[in-house]
Amino acid sequence: MAYSELIKNFEKIRAYMREFYVYGFKSRVEYDSKSARSYDDERRRLDSWLGDYLRFTQTPHGKTVFLSVDSRAIHRNPFYSALKAKSFTPGDLTLHFALFDILFTPSVKLTLPELVDRIDSLLSSRLVFDESTLRKKLREYVSEGIILTEKSGRRLLYSRAPDVDFSSLSDLLDFFSEAAPCGVVGSFLLDKLPPHRDIFSFKHHYITSAIDSEVLASLFSAIHEHRCITVDNFGRRSSPTTLSLVPLRVYISAQNGRQHLLAFHEKANRLNSYRIDFLSSVRIGEVCEKFDALRAALEKAETCMWGVIGRWNPKRAEHVEFELRIDPEEDYVLRRLEREKRCGRVERIDETHYRFLADVFDTSEMIPWIRTFLCRITRLNFSNRTVENRFKADLEEMYRLYGLPESSPLA
Amino acid sequence: MLFSELYSVYYNTVAKIITSALSPGATEKDLQRCVAESAFSESVLTILPSLKSGKWPLLREDLSPCLTHVPTMPPTTLQLRWLKAISEDPRVKLFDVSFPSLDGVEPLFTREDYRIYDQYSDGDPFEDSSYIAHFRLILSAIRDGLPVQLTVTNRRGRQVRLRIFPTGLEYSLKDDKFRILSSGGHFRYVNLGRVLSCEISSSSPPPPEPQEERLADLTLLITDERNTLERAMIHFSHFERQAERREDGRYLLRLKYYESDETEVVIRVLSFGPTVRVLDPPHFVDLIRDRLIAQRNCGLK
Repeated sequence: MAYSELIKNFEKIRAYMREFYVYGFKSRVEYDSKSARSYDDERRRLDSWLGDYLRFTQTPHGKTVFLSVDSRAIHRNPFYSALKAKSFTPGDLTLHFALFDILFTPSVKLTLPELVDRIDSLLSSRLVFDESTLRKKLREYVSEGIILTEKSGRRLLYSRAPDVDFSSLSDLLDFFSEAAPCGVVGSFLLDKLPPHRDIFSFKHHYITSAIDSEVLASLFSAIHEHRCITVDNFGRRSSPTTLSLVPLRVYISAQNGRQHLLAFHEKANRLNSYRIDFLSSVRIGEVCEKFDALRAALEKAETCMWGVIGRWNPKRAEHVEFELRIDPEEDYVLRRLEREKRCGRVERIDETHYRFLADVFDTSEMIPWIRTFLCRITRLNFSNRTVENRFKADLEEMYRLYGLPESSPLA
Repeated sequence: MLFSELYSVYYNTVAKIITSALSPGATEKDLQRCVAESAFSESVLTILPSLKSGKWPLLREDLSPCLTHVPTMPPTTLQLRWLKAISEDPRVKLFDVSFPSLDGVEPLFTREDYRIYDQYSDGDPFEDSSYIAHFRLILSAIRDGLPVQLTVTNRRGRQVRLRIFPTGLEYSLKDDKFRILSSGGHFRYVNLGRVLSCEISSSSPPPPEPQEERLADLTLLITDERNTLERAMIHFSHFERQAERREDGRYLLRLKYYESDETEVVIRVLSFGPTVRVLDPPHFVDLIRDRLIAQRNCGLK
């Protein structure tokens, strides 16, 4: 099949974008699970969509392709382009424009045979559509909400949905298309507006979740309607597993951009978390009658969740305590402790020492945060001794890596 | 369906081409410009040739359109549902806008459907009337290119008066705060939440060019244990960066960070423990080392 810069299925390019963006050190021959031609086609597409953000470097292993973006220096997520590259047939495109040209205002209401005649006349029979093709397209557009139907006697009339002027929302759309979940939908709306000055920029802005937008939108639909789902989970395995879940809530990280789904796995009777970038093909099923009860149980569990690991039973939480030396003039550290903690509490021990206490399901989720206080940790007390010992062993390893001599204390 | 041709660059570009072709005196160059400005870099090989050849029979041979109206498409249910979800976000009050009627539209998500679980808890007061007034005034000053006079509380808790040329607003999801970007004056950034009062300044000389913020290079050595490679690559992915695999199976990550954020970057590197080690620059290595020396002196056993 001849190369096209458009694609029918997003999953393949999603995997490549992730590889190029997250890692970006593999050479062409290392993409062994896909054919060389497939690799070349996907790389060429990304080059066409993303331009300067796609970069190349020559290494002893060959040419490597990577995506690099200083997301603070841009106003709009460049990855949204990939979601605007869906392929179509000449008939799809022609029919779309002809249909909305005839139904140019909501007051024009026509039957299927009338529409067929009008389209034929508009296009001077250069491309002919039969009733069946047009009916299928109209049904699709009704489900998208852009075509309305109404009965007039025995006739079914088709008209366009009302147009909406979004021009007064341009600043709002600029902001929320980057700062809200499924922001690409805001970007679709922005595409209809005339060019305008971008006022907003974004710090700590993780743009990679854009490529998971379709999965996320399906999950939100299921959650909103309290429905079960069946979904393929690729995890880190080579072959996917199919899961039946009750999706309960999406957890988004502002500190690494990862998105997780917290869901009830009925078969295992467990509250599990799933990385959304590993999920694919969400199929929405029946309404789950016990959704509200499960959501309430999740909210109870959240009191002991530091990250995305949750359990039904808070009694399974681990106790975490650590103490910090904070001098009186370092109240900014105390403020950090207060604003960055997600559960637990801070206690003052004396003028220069403070204690943080929490009960969490997984102590190891807290370790990266606790390490950010290195230079002032005076005591640790984890009920999970394995994690505590590993923390201390890691610290010793860091001393060694940075050439701190064995003897202590140091000046 | 989110991944749909209805939202595609091609459909949008064809709409622009037909709009242009409907204008009296439109030339092929005008139509080509639509492709160059709106579509992908290789789209030039497809869009106009398909319209000219009649494969997509929307233009006649003389490039006049077969259609009679400027192409438009009503918003889809997905777009309206997303907009409804946004209309329920507290930050929406910052914008002095009224939404189109969304009665009967179900939001795509509500605030109960997701959590930003690691966002700092001292975010800006988005629903405070003074904050909203300051936000709107700054927004209009940016749009009109006007200077503003601010009274702010500085880090030491003192009130200071500033005159700045606001050039943009920067939002951090992690901090849940806005900062005013400014050129001229001594302050490159002003936290909007620290503004006590704010007014358009009377005199308005042209704003000076904003200074480029200084970037610094950082080289990290990553040992891929406990999934560190992926975690680090994702964690630092918002920086301009490049990764390289070494012969010994470890990885080099070179990134550029903003010098003004150095302390934050030090802390973030530390959070990875021994599996991410700073190789360069030497002064950054010293910053990590100083913290480790101080930690060793804490007597943790």
